[in-house]
Amino acid sequence: MGAEAERAVGLMKEISAGMRGCALLDADGTALAASGELDLWGSAASRLIGAADAARDSAPAEQVHVATEDGEVYALRHAGLTMVAVTDRFTLAALVVSDIRMILRDLAAGEVRDRRAPERGEVPVARESDEEIQADPEAATPPAA
Amino acid sequence: MPPKPHRLLLDRVSGYADEASAFMRRRRIVRRPFARVRWAGGESAAFDAETEEGRELFRAAAHLIDVAGPSPARPRGQR
Repeated sequence: MGAEAERAVGLMKEISAGMRGCALLDADGTALAASGELDLWGSAASRLIGAADAARDSAPAEQVHVATEDGEVYALRHAGLTMVAVTDRFTLAALVVSDIRMILRDLAAGEVRDRRAPERGEVPVARESDEEIQADPEAATPPAA
Repeated sequence: MPPKPHRLLLDRVSGYADEASAFMRRRRIVRRPFARVRWAGGESAAFDAETEEGRELFRAAAHLIDVAGPSPARPRGQR
């Protein structure tokens, strides 16, 4: 989980626009990985989660979004994992939450994957030659809808 | 009969002033800090900074923003 947690934090910083830093916590509130100092991120993130949980006694918070003049803070829980992220002001909240959710789901499934669409021209299109098509015409026929 | 030139100017200036005040009003609303918490099942609540819960959420968020540090400088030409 340690290496995958590091990878999740790295990927989150890479894919999300306006991201300043993020951390990943386990169910006990222990920091698994962070973009900065692990202890600092762990205590600060636990404080936010604690404040959100204390806001209502009946159930633990699933998602937190706090916007201040200096930046925005997001926290999301999924399958016993919590990701806390700090972004610039006026980021697109739905996109940040979607990125966090996607990474948490992948991490809970055991493997973090970069799901970004490839850049134009990055994936070579495999084309069959005329000889290959003549040799097996059925393979070249698109499947019926 | 065409309107007098000074009236045309006044209308235009007051139109710009209305636009500017509406923009400032929208900007104030957008820039207002907020704290929202969502629980399992889709229930959610917003907490004002005046309440005890809201105050603690804002303090915790400010601490996290301090830990994250300033926004990295964007390369020249990047928006």
